[in-house]
Amino acid sequence: MAITFEMIKQVTAQLYERSLKQIPDDTRQALVQASSRETNETGRRTLQIMIESADAARSQQSLVCSDSGVPVYFMQIGTQAQFEGNVKQAIEEGFAELVATINPPLLPHVTNPLTLERGYQGKGMPITTFDLVDGADYIDITCSPKALGSGRWAALEIFSFPDLPTIENFVMETVVKAGSQPCPPVVIGVGIGGSFDYAAKMAKEATLRQIGTVNPEPILVDMEAHLLERINKTGFGPMGTGGDSTSMAVHINYCAGHGFTPVAVCFNCWINRRTRARCYNDGRIQMLE
Amino acid sequence: MSITTHRMTFPLSASDARKLRAGDQVIIDGEIIITAGLPTHARFLDCLDGKEPFPMNLHGASLFHLGSYSRETEGQFEILYINPTTSTRFNPHMPRLIRELQLHATGGKGGLDEASAQAMQEAGCVYLSFLGGGCTLLSQAIEQVLEVGWTDMLTHYRVVRLRVKGLGPVTVGIDAHGNNLYARIHEAAQEQLKSGA
Repeated sequence: MAITFEMIKQVTAQLYERSLKQIPDDTRQALVQASSRETNETGRRTLQIMIESADAARSQQSLVCSDSGVPVYFMQIGTQAQFEGNVKQAIEEGFAELVATINPPLLPHVTNPLTLERGYQGKGMPITTFDLVDGADYIDITCSPKALGSGRWAALEIFSFPDLPTIENFVMETVVKAGSQPCPPVVIGVGIGGSFDYAAKMAKEATLRQIGTVNPEPILVDMEAHLLERINKTGFGPMGTGGDSTSMAVHINYCAGHGFTPVAVCFNCWINRRTRARCYNDGRIQMLE
Repeated sequence: MSITTHRMTFPLSASDARKLRAGDQVIIDGEIIITAGLPTHARFLDCLDGKEPFPMNLHGASLFHLGSYSRETEGQFEILYINPTTSTRFNPHMPRLIRELQLHATGGKGGLDEASAQAMQEAGCVYLSFLGGGCTLLSQAIEQVLEVGWTDMLTHYRVVRLRVKGLGPVTVGIDAHGNNLYARIHEAAQEQLKSGA
C-alpha cells in the first residue's frame, strides 16, 4: 500500500478550502473566553461579532475573510511513508483544481513580486516545506494560508548574545508597530536562535501550536505568559479599536545557535487559519483539525 | 463605559458625521462606494489632476476600503462578497481625496494616519472600522449593485456603488473632531513600551 497522488491532491485542496470557511475549535474557544474577560465594551462587541461571523461562514460554507491569501503547507513526511506519484505536483494540481471549482470563487491574491501581476498561480506556489518524522508511516499535512493583513507585520532581527529582556522587547516593538493592522486578537509566533532562515521557520511553526498547550521549556513558559500579559496591556484590543484582547496566545520555539541570535516574530489574525490531516500508507485519511 | 449605536442613512452628510464620536457604533443603510485597490486610489488622484474622468460621482461619497468579488451575469453585476482591507495602505492618497471630494465617511480596517485625520476634521468625515474576517455577515447586507466602475481592473480593485441594509455594526475609529482611536492607543502602547511595563 502507499499514499497515492490522488490522496495528496484531494486532501491538500480540502484542507485549504476548510481553512477558509471555518476557524479552529481552540480559536473559537479562545475568542469566547476573551469576550467573557474583555473589559472594553466596544472590544467585547467586536469579539462577539467575530464569533458570529465565524459561525455564519461555517454553517453557510462561505468565506470567513475575502483575503484567501496564498496557500501554505507544512508537510511532515514519515520515513516509513510510501508514495505513489509526485508529491509537489499533487499539491499544485489540487490547488489549481480547487481554485477552478470552489464556491464562492476566490480573489486572485498570488502576486509576482517582480511585476506585481496577480493571479492564482505563480513561481513556488503553493508554498510548501517538508520535514521528516522518524519511523512514521504517514504524511502529516498542515495548511495555514497567509493573507496580507497578518502577513505584512512579521519581523526578524539578528542580535549578538541578547539577554531575555532584549528578546522580549523586540517582540513588543514588533507588536506595537503592527498595532491594529493584523486583525487582533492575534496568535503570535516567535522563533529564537538557529540561523536566519530557521528562526523564521520556527516562528511560523509556533503559530500552528494549539492554543492552551504548554511549552516544554520552562524559561519559555514564563516568557510566553509575560509577553501575553504585556501585549494585552497595550490596549489595542479587537480590531485595534480598544480593549484588552490583543493576543490570544504567544507561542515560542527555540533552537541552539551561535552567539548571533536571530529572533523572528509573526502573526496569525483572529481567524487563525489552520487545518491538518494525516494520510497513511494503508490509505486511511485522518482529519486532525 | 456604555457606547452608542447609531443607525444612519448613507452617504453620510457632514453634519451627521459630526454627530458621531470615536468609539460609537454605526449600522449603515443606503448607498456606499467601495474599492480595495492601491492602483485604484492612484487612479483617483489622476482623476483629481484631470487626467481622466472619475468612474462615477464620488463627491460627498462614503468611500470605504472594502474589497469585493464581482461578476457579470446576463449583463448585470453580481457581488458575491465584500470584506474590509487595511486602510493604512492608502494613507498617502486619503488626505487629498477627503478634502477635494468632501468625503464624509471612509473606512475599512486598521485606521488612517494623522494627516488623514486632519483632513477628516476639515471635511466633516468619520473613519469606520469594519470587522476583518466579516465576509459572510457583511455580504448579507448587500441589497443591490448600483454601479461598477473601472471593470478593466481586478474585481476587488473596481469601484462599486452598492445599496446596503443593516451593514455592520462598525466602530467609529476616527471621528470628525480629531479623535483618532488608533493614534491614541498607539501612543499609549509606545509609552508602555518605553516604561518597560
